[in-house]
Amino acid sequence: MRVSEIHAPSSLAEVLEQRRRLPEAAFYAGGTELLREQAGRFLRLPPEIISLGAVPELRQVALTERFVEIGAAVTLAEILELRENAVPELLAVALRGVATPAIRNLATLGGNLATRSRFMDSWPALACLDALAEFRDASGSHWVNVNRIADAEGLPAPPAGALLSRVRIPLERWDAIAIRKVGLRDYPAAETAVFALAARAEKGILSEFRLAFAGERSLRLREVEARILGRRLPLNAKERRSFSGDYREAASSLPPGLKQQFGTLVDGALDLLSR
Amino acid sequence: MTIHFILNGEDVSMNATSADRLVDLLRERFGLHGAQADCRRGTCGKCLVLMDGRLAPSCLLPAFKARGREIVTYEGFAQTDEYADIAAGFAEAGVECCGFCDKGKILAAAAVVERSSRPTKEEILAEMAEVPCRCTDPETLVRGVQAAAERREGRRYRRASQ
Repeated sequence: MRVSEIHAPSSLAEVLEQRRRLPEAAFYAGGTELLREQAGRFLRLPPEIISLGAVPELRQVALTERFVEIGAAVTLAEILELRENAVPELLAVALRGVATPAIRNLATLGGNLATRSRFMDSWPALACLDALAEFRDASGSHWVNVNRIADAEGLPAPPAGALLSRVRIPLERWDAIAIRKVGLRDYPAAETAVFALAARAEKGILSEFRLAFAGERSLRLREVEARILGRRLPLNAKERRSFSGDYREAASSLPPGLKQQFGTLVDGALDLLSR
Repeated sequence: MTIHFILNGEDVSMNATSADRLVDLLRERFGLHGAQADCRRGTCGKCLVLMDGRLAPSCLLPAFKARGREIVTYEGFAQTDEYADIAAGFAEAGVECCGFCDKGKILAAAAVVERSSRPTKEEILAEMAEVPCRCTDPETLVRGVQAAAERREGRRYRRASQ
């Protein structure tokens, strides 16, 4: 049985100070991802733990007309209980799909977004919403677009050693949104992923189109989105085929099951724009 | 480390290591066997407790996470008026749970009626998904939880008007 040292700071300043002293320490908030694969009698936690549950700055929610800021240690259940329109529906739908209510009572937004092993449910929605994540370390505060949490190969790459402290999510009108969890096996596994779509039209012209797909890797094709934008709706058959082909080609490296489902979902999204 | 928390309404403390799960300490230190460590992955619903009024799988809670919190186990909840509301609501609707899931379903029902005085079918089924046992017909379960919520509201109303 391995015993860890638990540190329980009560302010963000203390968290950062402890992090400076203990650079190898792991942050612990909801812990659901860390414990998910541990079925033994005793837990195996990293040797040094910085528990974030009693840090008030990480538990705050601030709402303005233009965006909502959610502390990284706010639980998924608490986010879903915020008043109507305080959270974009795209994110709410994604979070309602996470595990079960009791696990959503423990799991936090920070843990869901900053997991290094894979992309979890919130990433595709937050990527489509162009949310910003604030990371803090000894050098200060750094705001990073959620899309940049993926590296060039599409793998999760939250800034090393930094603490995800809050997420700023723009509140905008969307005319069409979709979230689909795909995969034939228990989630999460190699052949599971989450698909997110957000689109908006102005006077019959497509003014926003964002499509993200993520499991072990992320997929978001900014250049294809840029080519779709500004098209008059409905898309014609030629446009539809062209964009579908672009997405299918980009998905060629996905596992076979995922590739097929991704193609079907992309075609569904393009069908929506073709009606 | 010593962890202080409230367990079934009483201030308690326990010595624990970082490797201990709350479910095991509830059983071994406090003799509360209502929560069972079955899957140890938070999926079977047998270890559920209420933590600060919210449903939580105690197998996914390291003991240190209980510090300063209020934990209610099935045994503690069974002593409350809220339990009586749920037991009566379940009986009225004809809900009969098996020994695998009865405690989890009662605590899940408690979490639903704590949040909503008139829970919808969707709210109830979402919370009941916590306990995957299929021994009870979902429609009957929904009626049972709604009957429990009505009883709870009625009791609160009577108390307020006294």
